[in-house]
Amino acid sequence: MNLSPQQQKIIEIVPQGAPSIVEESLFEVRKKIYPRAVTGLFARWRWGMVIFTQLLFYGLCWVPWNDRQAVLFNIVERKFYLFGLVLWPQDVFYLAILLIISAFSLFLFTAVAGRLWCGFACPQTVYTEVFLWIERVFEGDRGARMKLDSGDMSQVKLLRKGGKVLTWALLAAWTGFTFVGYFTPIHELWGEVWNFRLGPWESFWLCFYSAFTYLNAGHMREQVCKYMCPYARFQGVMFDPDTLVITYDTERGDPRGSRKKGIDPRSEGKGDCVDCQICVQVCPTGIDIRDGLQYECIGCAACIDACDQVMEKMNYPKGLIRYSTENALSQHWGWREILRHVVRPRVLIYMGILSIVVSAFLFGLLTKSSLQVNVIRDRGIMGREVEGGLIENVFRLQVMNVSEHYQFYAVKVEGLPGIKLASDHVIELPAESSRVFTFEVRADPESGKPGSNPISFEIESLLGDAEAHEKATFFIPR
Amino acid sequence: MQKWMWILWPSFIIAGVAEGIFFSLVNPQELYFLGDPVHYSAIATYSIGFLAFWMVCACSSFLTWSLQRPAGEVNARG
Ligand code: SF4
Ligand code: SF4
Repeated sequence: MNLSPQQQKIIEIVPQGAPSIVEESLFEVRKKIYPRAVTGLFARWRWGMVIFTQLLFYGLCWVPWNDRQAVLFNIVERKFYLFGLVLWPQDVFYLAILLIISAFSLFLFTAVAGRLWCGFACPQTVYTEVFLWIERVFEGDRGARMKLDSGDMSQVKLLRKGGKVLTWALLAAWTGFTFVGYFTPIHELWGEVWNFRLGPWESFWLCFYSAFTYLNAGHMREQVCKYMCPYARFQGVMFDPDTLVITYDTERGDPRGSRKKGIDPRSEGKGDCVDCQICVQVCPTGIDIRDGLQYECIGCAACIDACDQVMEKMNYPKGLIRYSTENALSQHWGWREILRHVVRPRVLIYMGILSIVVSAFLFGLLTKSSLQVNVIRDRGIMGREVEGGLIENVFRLQVMNVSEHYQFYAVKVEGLPGIKLASDHVIELPAESSRVFTFEVRADPESGKPGSNPISFEIESLLGDAEAHEKATFFIPR
Repeated sequence: MQKWMWILWPSFIIAGVAEGIFFSLVNPQELYFLGDPVHYSAIATYSIGFLAFWMVCACSSFLTWSLQRPAGEVNARG
Protein backbone atom coordinates (compact mmCIF):
# COMPACT_ATOMS: atom_id res chain seq x y z
CA MET A 1 0.00 0.00 0.00
CA ASN A 2 1.38 3.36 -1.02
CA LEU A 3 0.71 6.26 1.27
CA SER A 4 0.96 9.86 0.20
CA PRO A 5 3.45 11.94 2.20
CA GLN A 6 0.54 13.72 3.83
CA GLN A 7 -1.01 10.51 5.11
CA GLN A 8 2.32 9.40 6.41
CA LYS A 9 2.60 12.59 8.32
CA ILE A 10 -0.68 11.92 10.02
CA ILE A 11 0.52 8.71 11.58
CA GLU A 12 3.93 9.97 12.43
CA ILE A 13 4.61 9.62 16.10
CA VAL A 14 4.76 12.79 18.10
CA PRO A 15 7.30 12.83 20.90
CA GLN A 16 5.57 12.61 24.24
CA GLY A 17 7.93 15.15 25.81
CA ALA A 18 5.55 18.09 25.59
CA PRO A 19 4.37 18.92 29.12
CA SER A 20 0.66 18.33 29.58
CA ILE A 21 -1.47 21.26 30.52
CA VAL A 22 -3.48 20.81 33.67
CA GLU A 23 -6.38 23.13 34.13
CA GLU A 24 -9.10 23.48 36.71
CA SER A 25 -12.29 23.28 34.80
CA LEU A 26 -15.96 23.34 35.75
CA PHE A 27 -16.15 19.69 36.73
CA GLU A 28 -12.68 18.45 37.43
CA VAL A 29 -9.07 19.24 37.57
CA ARG A 30 -8.36 17.81 34.19
CA LYS A 31 -5.56 17.24 31.83
CA LYS A 32 -6.40 19.23 28.75
CA ILE A 33 -7.07 16.91 25.84
CA TYR A 34 -5.56 17.69 22.48
CA PRO A 35 -7.27 15.38 20.03
CA ARG A 36 -5.12 14.69 16.99
CA ALA A 37 -6.75 15.12 13.58
CA VAL A 38 -7.87 11.91 11.97
CA THR A 39 -8.89 10.90 8.45
CA GLY A 40 -10.62 7.82 7.17
CA LEU A 41 -13.95 6.19 6.57
CA PHE A 42 -15.56 7.07 9.89
CA ALA A 43 -14.15 10.58 9.88
CA ARG A 44 -15.90 11.07 6.55
CA TRP A 45 -19.15 9.79 8.05
CA ARG A 46 -18.77 12.14 10.97
CA TRP A 47 -18.22 15.12 8.74
CA GLY A 48 -21.11 14.03 6.55
CA MET A 49 -23.34 14.10 9.60
CA VAL A 50 -21.95 17.46 10.71
CA ILE A 51 -22.82 18.96 7.34
CA PHE A 52 -26.22 17.30 7.18
CA THR A 53 -27.36 18.24 10.69
CA GLN A 54 -26.04 21.77 10.48
CA LEU A 55 -27.54 22.50 7.07
CA LEU A 56 -30.80 21.35 8.61
CA PHE A 57 -30.40 23.40 11.80
CA TYR A 58 -29.09 26.64 10.31
CA GLY A 59 -31.26 26.40 7.19
CA LEU A 60 -34.66 25.08 8.19
CA CYS A 61 -35.65 28.17 10.16
CA TRP A 62 -35.41 30.27 6.97
CA VAL A 63 -37.61 28.02 4.84
CA PRO A 64 -41.00 29.62 4.09
CA TRP A 65 -44.32 27.78 3.92
CA ASN A 66 -47.69 29.42 3.12
CA ASP A 67 -46.31 32.92 3.89
CA ARG A 68 -44.95 31.82 7.24
CA GLN A 69 -41.94 30.07 8.67
CA ALA A 70 -42.13 26.35 7.86
CA VAL A 71 -40.82 25.19 11.24
CA LEU A 72 -41.60 27.48 14.14
CA PHE A 73 -42.44 26.84 17.75
CA ASN A 74 -44.20 30.10 18.30
CA ILE A 75 -44.32 30.22 22.07
CA VAL A 76 -45.95 33.65 22.19
CA GLU A 77 -48.97 32.60 20.10
CA ARG A 78 -48.73 29.08 21.47
CA LYS A 79 -48.78 27.42 18.06
CA PHE A 80 -46.30 24.95 16.65
CA TYR A 81 -45.81 24.93 12.93
CA LEU A 82 -44.24 21.92 11.24
CA PHE A 83 -44.65 22.48 7.50
CA GLY A 84 -48.33 21.79 6.78
CA LEU A 85 -49.05 20.79 10.35
CA VAL A 86 -50.17 23.31 12.95
CA LEU A 87 -50.26 22.13 16.55
CA TRP A 88 -52.29 24.02 19.15
CA PRO A 89 -51.96 23.76 22.90
CA GLN A 90 -54.66 21.07 22.95
CA ASP A 91 -52.47 18.99 20.60
CA VAL A 92 -49.71 18.68 23.17
CA PHE A 93 -50.44 14.97 22.97
CA TYR A 94 -48.75 14.84 19.56
CA LEU A 95 -45.61 16.44 20.93
CA ALA A 96 -45.55 13.94 23.77
CA ILE A 97 -45.82 11.10 21.26
CA LEU A 98 -43.04 12.62 19.18
CA LEU A 99 -40.84 12.60 22.27
CA ILE A 100 -41.70 8.97 22.98
CA ILE A 101 -40.84 8.08 19.39
CA SER A 102 -37.48 9.82 19.67
CA ALA A 103 -36.74 8.08 22.96
CA PHE A 104 -37.52 4.62 21.60
CA SER A 105 -35.56 5.23 18.41
CA LEU A 106 -32.64 6.12 20.62
CA PHE A 107 -33.11 2.92 22.66
CA LEU A 108 -33.27 0.88 19.48
CA PHE A 109 -30.15 2.43 17.95
CA THR A 110 -28.29 2.01 21.21
CA ALA A 111 -29.23 -1.64 21.59
CA VAL A 112 -28.13 -2.44 18.05
CA ALA A 113 -25.04 -0.31 17.59
CA GLY A 114 -24.14 1.42 20.81
CA ARG A 115 -23.61 5.13 20.99
CA LEU A 116 -24.23 5.97 17.35
CA TRP A 117 -26.11 9.06 18.45
CA CYS A 118 -23.22 10.30 20.60
CA GLY A 119 -20.55 9.72 18.01
CA PHE A 120 -22.28 11.04 14.94
CA ALA A 121 -25.36 13.14 15.63
CA CYS A 122 -25.33 14.66 19.11
CA PRO A 123 -25.03 18.46 18.96
CA GLN A 124 -22.30 18.24 21.57
CA THR A 125 -20.17 16.06 19.30
CA VAL A 126 -21.05 18.00 16.19
CA TYR A 127 -20.19 21.42 17.64
CA THR A 128 -17.06 20.10 19.31
CA GLU A 129 -15.99 18.74 15.94
CA VAL A 130 -16.59 22.11 14.27
CA PHE A 131 -14.92 24.08 17.06
CA LEU A 132 -11.95 21.71 17.01
CA TRP A 133 -11.64 22.22 13.29
CA ILE A 134 -11.54 25.99 13.79
CA GLU A 135 -8.95 25.49 16.51
CA ARG A 136 -6.87 23.40 14.14
CA VAL A 137 -7.08 26.05 11.42
CA PHE A 138 -5.69 28.69 13.80
CA GLU A 139 -3.38 26.68 16.04
CA GLY A 140 -2.45 23.60 14.07
CA ASP A 141 -2.76 19.94 14.99
CA ARG A 142 -2.15 18.26 18.34
CA GLY A 143 1.61 18.74 18.57
CA ALA A 144 1.50 22.37 17.49
CA ARG A 145 -1.31 23.16 19.91
CA MET A 146 0.53 21.58 22.83
CA LYS A 147 3.61 23.57 22.00
CA LEU A 148 1.63 26.77 21.64
CA ASP A 149 -0.09 26.27 24.99
CA SER A 150 3.06 25.49 26.91
CA GLY A 151 5.04 28.31 25.30
CA ASP A 152 5.23 31.89 26.52
CA MET A 153 2.80 34.52 25.34
CA SER A 154 4.00 36.02 22.10
CA GLN A 155 2.53 38.01 19.28
CA VAL A 156 2.00 34.90 17.22
CA LYS A 157 0.30 33.12 20.10
CA LEU A 158 -1.92 36.12 20.74
CA LEU A 159 -2.93 36.30 17.08
CA ARG A 160 -3.64 32.60 16.82
CA LYS A 161 -5.59 32.44 20.05
CA GLY A 162 -7.42 35.69 19.30
CA GLY A 163 -8.44 34.56 15.83
CA LYS A 164 -9.76 31.31 17.23
CA VAL A 165 -11.72 32.96 20.01
CA LEU A 166 -13.25 35.47 17.62
CA THR A 167 -14.32 32.81 15.11
CA TRP A 168 -15.72 30.68 17.91
CA ALA A 169 -17.66 33.63 19.27
CA LEU A 170 -19.14 34.48 15.87
CA LEU A 171 -20.23 30.91 15.27
CA ALA A 172 -21.66 30.65 18.78
CA ALA A 173 -23.60 33.88 18.34
CA TRP A 174 -25.04 32.65 15.06
CA THR A 175 -26.01 29.39 16.71
CA GLY A 176 -27.73 31.22 19.57
CA PHE A 177 -29.58 33.44 17.10
CA THR A 178 -30.71 30.45 15.06
CA PHE A 179 -31.90 28.66 18.17
CA VAL A 180 -34.02 31.60 19.32
CA GLY A 181 -35.25 31.86 15.71
CA TYR A 182 -37.08 28.57 16.13
CA PHE A 183 -39.17 30.09 18.92
CA THR A 184 -39.77 33.62 17.61
CA PRO A 185 -40.30 34.30 13.89
CA ILE A 186 -36.74 34.55 12.60
CA HIS A 187 -37.29 37.35 10.07
CA GLU A 188 -38.69 39.61 12.79
CA LEU A 189 -35.86 38.60 15.10
CA TRP A 190 -33.33 39.45 12.42
CA GLY A 191 -34.86 42.92 11.99
CA GLU A 192 -34.89 43.47 15.74
CA VAL A 193 -31.25 42.52 16.07
CA TRP A 194 -30.15 44.97 13.39
CA ASN A 195 -32.31 47.82 14.66
CA PHE A 196 -31.25 47.20 18.27
CA ARG A 197 -34.87 46.67 19.25
CA LEU A 198 -34.45 43.23 20.78
CA GLY A 199 -36.53 42.80 23.93
CA PRO A 200 -34.68 42.19 27.20
CA TRP A 201 -35.71 38.54 27.45
CA GLU A 202 -34.92 37.75 23.85
CA SER A 203 -31.49 39.31 24.30
CA PHE A 204 -31.03 37.29 27.44
CA TRP A 205 -31.83 33.97 25.77
CA LEU A 206 -29.80 34.82 22.72
CA CYS A 207 -26.73 35.52 24.85
CA PHE A 208 -27.45 32.54 27.06
CA TYR A 209 -27.51 30.04 24.21
CA SER A 210 -24.53 31.61 22.50
CA ALA A 211 -22.49 31.40 25.68
CA PHE A 212 -23.72 27.87 26.23
CA THR A 213 -22.54 26.80 22.76
CA TYR A 214 -19.22 28.55 23.17
CA LEU A 215 -18.48 27.00 26.54
CA ASN A 216 -19.70 23.51 25.72
CA ALA A 217 -18.01 23.16 22.35
CA GLY A 218 -14.96 25.29 23.02
CA HIS A 219 -14.03 24.46 26.60
CA MET A 220 -16.12 21.78 28.25
CA ARG A 221 -16.08 19.30 25.35
CA GLU A 222 -15.64 15.74 26.65
CA GLN A 223 -16.63 16.88 30.16
CA VAL A 224 -20.18 17.44 28.92
CA CYS A 225 -20.29 13.78 27.90
CA LYS A 226 -18.57 12.59 31.03
CA TYR A 227 -20.31 14.65 33.70
CA MET A 228 -23.31 16.46 32.28
CA CYS A 229 -25.05 14.08 29.93
CA PRO A 230 -27.77 11.89 31.50
CA TYR A 231 -27.84 9.63 28.45
CA ALA A 232 -24.18 8.75 28.89
CA ARG A 233 -24.99 7.47 32.35
CA PHE A 234 -28.04 5.46 31.33
CA GLN A 235 -27.00 4.08 27.96
CA GLY A 236 -25.31 1.06 29.55
CA VAL A 237 -28.77 -0.25 30.47
CA MET A 238 -29.60 -0.69 26.78
CA PHE A 239 -26.40 -2.59 26.04
CA ASP A 240 -26.17 -6.36 25.92
CA PRO A 241 -23.46 -8.79 24.76
CA ASP A 242 -24.73 -8.51 21.18
CA THR A 243 -24.54 -4.72 20.99
CA LEU A 244 -22.04 -3.41 18.46
CA VAL A 245 -19.41 -1.39 20.25
CA ILE A 246 -15.96 -0.12 19.44
CA THR A 247 -13.52 -2.70 20.68
CA TYR A 248 -9.84 -3.39 20.74
CA ASP A 249 -9.11 -7.01 19.89
CA THR A 250 -6.96 -7.88 22.91
CA GLU A 251 -6.30 -11.40 21.77
CA ARG A 252 -4.88 -10.21 18.50
CA GLY A 253 -3.15 -7.07 19.74
CA ASP A 254 -1.48 -8.13 22.99
CA PRO A 255 1.27 -8.32 24.08
CA ARG A 256 1.91 -4.84 22.74
CA GLY A 257 5.26 -3.42 21.80
CA SER A 258 7.29 -1.67 19.15
CA ARG A 259 9.01 -3.70 16.50
CA LYS A 260 10.83 -3.30 13.26
CA LYS A 261 8.68 -3.21 10.15
CA GLY A 262 8.52 -6.48 8.24
CA ILE A 263 9.29 -8.68 11.23
CA ASP A 264 6.71 -11.29 12.15
CA PRO A 265 5.56 -10.08 15.59
CA ARG A 266 4.78 -13.63 16.76
CA SER A 267 8.45 -14.48 16.38
CA GLU A 268 9.14 -11.86 19.03
CA GLY A 269 6.23 -13.05 21.12
CA LYS A 270 4.23 -9.90 20.37
CA GLY A 271 0.72 -9.21 19.16
CA ASP A 272 -0.29 -6.78 16.42
CA CYS A 273 -0.44 -3.60 18.55
CA VAL A 274 2.72 -1.57 18.02
CA ASP A 275 1.88 0.54 21.08
CA CYS A 276 2.14 3.76 19.11
CA GLN A 277 -0.57 5.45 21.24
CA ILE A 278 -2.16 7.00 18.17
CA CYS A 279 -5.57 5.64 19.17
CA VAL A 280 -5.22 7.46 22.48
CA GLN A 281 -4.08 10.68 20.84
CA VAL A 282 -7.05 10.92 18.49
CA CYS A 283 -9.60 10.14 21.18
CA PRO A 284 -11.68 13.22 21.95
CA THR A 285 -12.39 11.94 25.45
CA GLY A 286 -8.78 11.06 26.14
CA ILE A 287 -9.27 7.41 27.02
CA ASP A 288 -7.37 4.32 25.97
CA ILE A 289 -9.82 2.02 24.20
CA ARG A 290 -7.37 -0.85 24.76
CA ASP A 291 -8.42 -0.85 28.42
CA GLY A 292 -11.82 -2.13 27.34
CA LEU A 293 -15.25 -0.58 26.98
CA GLN A 294 -15.60 2.52 29.13
CA TYR A 295 -18.57 4.78 29.69
CA GLU A 296 -16.43 7.74 28.58
CA CYS A 297 -16.20 6.31 25.06
CA ILE A 298 -18.66 8.21 22.88
CA GLY A 299 -18.35 5.77 20.01
CA CYS A 300 -16.92 8.27 17.56
CA ALA A 301 -14.77 5.62 15.85
CA ALA A 302 -11.81 8.00 15.53
CA CYS A 303 -9.60 5.30 17.04
CA ILE A 304 -10.73 2.82 14.38
CA ASP A 305 -9.64 5.14 11.58
CA ALA A 306 -6.38 5.90 13.34
CA CYS A 307 -5.45 2.31 14.08
CA ASP A 308 -6.43 1.15 10.60
CA GLN A 309 -3.88 3.57 9.18
CA VAL A 310 -1.22 2.14 11.45
CA MET A 311 -2.17 -1.40 10.50
CA GLU A 312 -2.01 -0.45 6.84
CA LYS A 313 1.42 1.02 7.29
CA MET A 314 2.60 -2.12 9.05
CA ASN A 315 1.01 -4.33 6.36
CA TYR A 316 -1.20 -6.00 8.96
CA PRO A 317 -4.88 -6.63 8.36
CA LYS A 318 -7.11 -3.74 9.41
CA GLY A 319 -9.56 -3.91 12.27
CA LEU A 320 -7.41 -4.35 15.38
CA ILE A 321 -9.83 -1.77 16.75
CA ARG A 322 -13.24 -2.25 15.15
CA TYR A 323 -16.98 -2.39 15.61
CA SER A 324 -17.72 -5.72 17.20
CA THR A 325 -19.79 -7.28 19.95
CA GLU A 326 -18.81 -8.88 23.21
CA ASN A 327 -20.08 -12.25 21.99
CA ALA A 328 -18.46 -11.93 18.60
CA LEU A 329 -15.11 -11.22 20.16
CA SER A 330 -15.18 -14.08 22.62
CA GLN A 331 -16.56 -16.57 20.11
CA HIS A 332 -14.69 -15.34 17.05
CA TRP A 333 -17.77 -14.59 15.04
CA GLY A 334 -17.65 -13.06 11.59
CA TRP A 335 -19.94 -10.34 10.28
CA ARG A 336 -22.61 -12.75 9.18
CA GLU A 337 -22.91 -14.18 12.67
CA ILE A 338 -23.00 -10.68 14.20
CA LEU A 339 -25.79 -9.62 11.85
CA ARG A 340 -27.74 -12.77 12.69
CA HIS A 341 -27.69 -11.74 16.34
CA VAL A 342 -29.09 -8.28 15.66
CA VAL A 343 -32.56 -9.82 15.75
CA ARG A 344 -33.08 -10.66 19.40
CA PRO A 345 -35.86 -10.14 21.99
CA ARG A 346 -34.64 -6.75 23.20
CA VAL A 347 -34.45 -5.37 19.70
CA LEU A 348 -37.80 -6.88 18.73
CA ILE A 349 -39.47 -5.39 21.79
CA TYR A 350 -38.09 -1.91 21.04
CA MET A 351 -39.13 -2.26 17.42
CA GLY A 352 -42.60 -3.47 18.41
CA ILE A 353 -43.24 -0.56 20.75
CA LEU A 354 -41.82 1.86 18.22
CA SER A 355 -44.03 0.65 15.40
CA ILE A 356 -47.15 0.79 17.58
CA VAL A 357 -46.42 4.34 18.68
CA VAL A 358 -45.51 5.48 15.17
CA SER A 359 -48.72 4.03 13.73
CA ALA A 360 -50.78 5.66 16.47
CA PHE A 361 -49.08 8.95 15.70
CA LEU A 362 -49.67 8.71 11.96
CA PHE A 363 -53.26 7.62 12.49
CA GLY A 364 -53.84 10.58 14.79
CA LEU A 365 -52.30 12.99 12.29
CA LEU A 366 -54.22 11.67 9.31
CA THR A 367 -57.55 11.77 11.08
CA LYS A 368 -56.85 15.08 12.81
CA SER A 369 -59.65 17.50 12.04
CA SER A 370 -59.00 21.13 11.19
CA LEU A 371 -62.18 22.00 13.07
CA GLN A 372 -62.61 21.67 16.81
CA VAL A 373 -65.76 22.31 18.77
CA ASN A 374 -66.46 22.35 22.48
CA VAL A 375 -69.89 22.84 24.00
CA ILE A 376 -69.84 25.16 26.99
CA ARG A 377 -73.13 24.63 28.75
CA ASP A 378 -74.48 27.62 30.64
CA ARG A 379 -75.30 26.14 34.03
CA GLY A 380 -77.40 29.10 35.12
CA ILE A 381 -80.10 29.07 32.47
CA MET A 382 -81.86 25.79 31.99
CA GLY A 383 -84.71 25.32 29.55
CA ARG A 384 -87.27 28.09 29.28
CA GLU A 385 -90.55 28.40 27.45
CA VAL A 386 -90.77 30.66 24.42
CA GLU A 387 -93.53 31.58 21.95
CA GLY A 388 -95.44 28.75 20.33
CA GLY A 389 -95.10 26.54 23.42
CA LEU A 390 -91.55 25.57 22.50
CA ILE A 391 -88.69 25.01 24.92
CA GLU A 392 -85.49 26.95 24.31
CA ASN A 393 -82.00 26.05 25.55
CA VAL A 394 -79.01 28.33 25.03
CA PHE A 395 -75.68 26.77 24.19
CA ARG A 396 -72.32 28.35 23.82
CA LEU A 397 -69.96 26.63 21.43
CA GLN A 398 -66.30 27.31 21.24
CA VAL A 399 -65.39 26.77 17.60
CA MET A 400 -61.80 26.62 16.53
CA ASN A 401 -60.66 26.83 12.93
CA VAL A 402 -57.26 25.17 12.96
CA SER A 403 -56.93 25.27 9.16
CA GLU A 404 -55.01 27.92 7.32
CA HIS A 405 -58.04 29.26 5.36
CA TYR A 406 -60.98 31.50 6.13
CA GLN A 407 -63.88 29.14 6.75
CA PHE A 408 -67.67 29.13 6.69
CA TYR A 409 -69.38 26.42 8.69
CA ALA A 410 -72.96 25.16 8.54
CA VAL A 411 -74.40 24.29 11.96
CA LYS A 412 -77.23 21.80 12.57
CA VAL A 413 -78.75 20.20 15.67
CA GLU A 414 -80.06 16.67 15.79
CA GLY A 415 -81.38 14.25 18.36
CA LEU A 416 -85.03 15.20 18.97
CA PRO A 417 -87.87 15.28 16.43
CA GLY A 418 -88.36 18.83 15.14
CA ILE A 419 -85.42 20.28 17.08
CA LYS A 420 -83.99 23.35 15.36
CA LEU A 421 -81.73 26.34 15.70
CA ALA A 422 -83.36 29.69 16.30
CA SER A 423 -80.15 31.56 15.52
CA ASP A 424 -77.81 31.71 12.51
CA HIS A 425 -77.13 28.49 10.69
CA VAL A 426 -73.86 29.61 9.16
CA ILE A 427 -70.90 30.96 11.07
CA GLU A 428 -67.58 32.22 9.78
CA LEU A 429 -64.10 32.16 11.22
CA PRO A 430 -60.76 33.49 9.97
CA ALA A 431 -57.84 31.08 9.60
CA GLU A 432 -56.26 29.81 12.82
CA SER A 433 -58.68 31.43 15.18
CA SER A 434 -61.27 30.45 17.70
CA ARG A 435 -64.44 32.16 18.93
CA VAL A 436 -67.38 31.42 21.14
CA PHE A 437 -70.77 31.44 19.38
CA THR A 438 -74.14 31.41 21.10
CA PHE A 439 -76.91 29.23 19.76
CA GLU A 440 -80.56 29.18 20.76
CA VAL A 441 -82.01 25.73 20.24
CA ARG A 442 -85.75 25.11 20.30
CA ALA A 443 -87.81 21.95 20.50
CA ASP A 444 -91.34 20.83 21.29
CA PRO A 445 -91.58 19.72 24.97
CA GLU A 446 -93.53 16.66 23.79
CA SER A 447 -90.65 15.55 21.57
CA GLY A 448 -88.54 14.37 24.50
CA LYS A 449 -88.81 13.34 28.12
CA PRO A 450 -88.71 15.87 30.96
CA GLY A 451 -85.13 16.40 32.12
CA SER A 452 -82.01 15.83 30.04
CA ASN A 453 -82.19 14.68 26.43
CA PRO A 454 -79.10 13.85 24.43
CA ILE A 455 -78.69 15.92 21.27
CA SER A 456 -75.75 16.67 19.04
CA PHE A 457 -74.40 19.57 17.05
CA GLU A 458 -73.29 18.80 13.51
CA ILE A 459 -70.86 21.36 12.14
CA GLU A 460 -69.55 21.14 8.64
CA SER A 461 -67.22 23.32 6.65
CA LEU A 462 -68.78 24.70 3.46
CA LEU A 463 -65.48 23.92 1.75
CA GLY A 464 -66.21 20.34 2.67
CA ASP A 465 -62.82 19.76 4.29
CA ALA A 466 -63.84 19.41 7.92
CA GLU A 467 -66.72 18.36 10.09
CA ALA A 468 -67.36 17.89 13.78
CA HIS A 469 -70.01 16.25 15.91
CA GLU A 470 -70.38 17.42 19.43
CA LYS A 471 -72.68 15.91 22.01
CA ALA A 472 -74.82 18.10 24.28
CA THR A 473 -77.89 17.72 26.45
CA PHE A 474 -81.16 19.49 25.88
CA PHE A 475 -83.11 20.22 29.05
CA ILE A 476 -86.90 20.08 29.13
CA PRO A 477 -88.44 21.40 32.37
CA ARG A 478 -91.20 19.39 33.98
CA MET B 1 -17.07 25.91 41.23
CA GLN B 2 -17.49 22.16 40.80
CA LYS B 3 -20.01 22.13 43.61
CA TRP B 4 -22.06 24.76 41.82
CA MET B 5 -22.07 22.78 38.60
CA TRP B 6 -23.40 19.74 40.45
CA ILE B 7 -26.18 21.90 41.83
CA LEU B 8 -27.01 24.08 38.83
CA TRP B 9 -26.74 21.61 36.00
CA PRO B 10 -29.16 18.82 37.00
CA SER B 11 -31.65 21.45 38.15
CA PHE B 12 -31.32 23.16 34.76
CA ILE B 13 -32.32 20.00 32.95
CA ILE B 14 -35.27 19.29 35.19
CA ALA B 15 -36.37 22.94 35.11
CA GLY B 16 -36.41 22.67 31.31
CA VAL B 17 -38.61 19.59 31.47
CA ALA B 18 -40.92 21.15 34.08
CA GLU B 19 -41.18 24.34 32.05
CA GLY B 20 -42.09 22.38 28.93
CA ILE B 21 -44.80 20.37 30.64
CA PHE B 22 -46.20 23.24 32.67
CA PHE B 23 -46.51 25.76 29.88
CA SER B 24 -47.80 23.33 27.30
CA LEU B 25 -50.70 22.73 29.66
CA VAL B 26 -51.14 26.23 31.06
CA ASN B 27 -51.49 29.41 29.06
CA PRO B 28 -49.31 32.13 30.62
CA GLN B 29 -51.94 34.73 29.76
CA GLU B 30 -54.43 32.97 32.00
CA LEU B 31 -52.30 32.89 35.13
CA TYR B 32 -53.03 34.85 38.26
CA PHE B 33 -50.31 36.17 40.51
CA LEU B 34 -51.37 37.22 44.03
CA GLY B 35 -54.93 37.61 42.77
CA ASP B 36 -54.10 39.77 39.76
CA PRO B 37 -53.90 38.53 36.20
CA VAL B 38 -50.31 38.21 35.02
CA HIS B 39 -49.75 41.14 32.69
CA TYR B 40 -46.19 40.49 31.49
CA SER B 41 -45.51 39.59 27.89
CA ALA B 42 -45.64 35.89 27.14
CA ILE B 43 -41.89 35.60 26.71
CA ALA B 44 -41.26 37.34 30.03
CA THR B 45 -43.67 34.98 31.79
CA TYR B 46 -42.01 31.96 30.23
CA SER B 47 -38.58 33.21 31.20
CA ILE B 48 -39.52 34.09 34.76
CA GLY B 49 -41.27 30.74 35.00
CA PHE B 50 -38.15 28.96 33.86
CA LEU B 51 -35.89 30.83 36.25
CA ALA B 52 -38.29 30.08 39.10
CA PHE B 53 -38.37 26.37 38.23
CA TRP B 54 -34.60 26.42 38.03
CA MET B 55 -34.29 27.99 41.46
CA VAL B 56 -36.64 25.48 43.07
CA CYS B 57 -34.83 22.57 41.45
CA ALA B 58 -31.48 24.05 42.45
CA CYS B 59 -32.61 24.11 46.08
CA SER B 60 -33.38 20.43 45.84
CA SER B 61 -30.00 19.72 44.24
CA PHE B 62 -28.32 21.77 46.93
CA LEU B 63 -29.98 19.69 49.63
CA THR B 64 -28.95 16.47 47.89
CA TRP B 65 -25.41 17.76 47.67
CA SER B 66 -25.33 18.76 51.35
CA LEU B 67 -26.84 15.56 52.62
CA GLN B 68 -24.61 13.21 50.68
CA ARG B 69 -21.36 14.71 51.95
CA PRO B 70 -19.36 12.16 53.92
CA ALA B 71 -19.20 12.65 57.68
CA GLY B 72 -15.50 13.44 57.66
CA GLU B 73 -15.96 16.34 55.34
CA VAL B 74 -18.81 17.79 57.38
CA ASN B 75 -16.81 17.49 60.61
CA ALA B 76 -13.76 19.07 59.08
CA ARG B 77 -15.60 22.15 57.94
CA GLY B 78 -18.14 22.36 60.71
S1 SF4 C 1 -4.27 -0.14 19.06
FE1 SF4 C 1 -3.51 0.55 17.04
S2 SF4 C 1 -3.39 2.77 17.20
FE2 SF4 C 1 -3.56 1.97 19.30
S3 SF4 C 1 -1.47 1.79 20.00
FE3 SF4 C 1 -2.01 -0.21 19.17
S4 SF4 C 1 -1.39 -0.09 17.03
FE4 SF4 C 1 -1.35 2.01 17.79
S1 SF4 D 1 -12.24 5.32 22.48
FE1 SF4 D 1 -12.36 5.56 20.24
S2 SF4 D 1 -14.55 5.58 19.79
FE2 SF4 D 1 -14.34 5.90 21.98
S3 SF4 D 1 -14.37 8.11 22.20
FE3 SF4 D 1 -12.21 7.51 22.06
S4 SF4 D 1 -11.73 7.66 19.88
FE4 SF4 D 1 -13.95 7.71 20.04
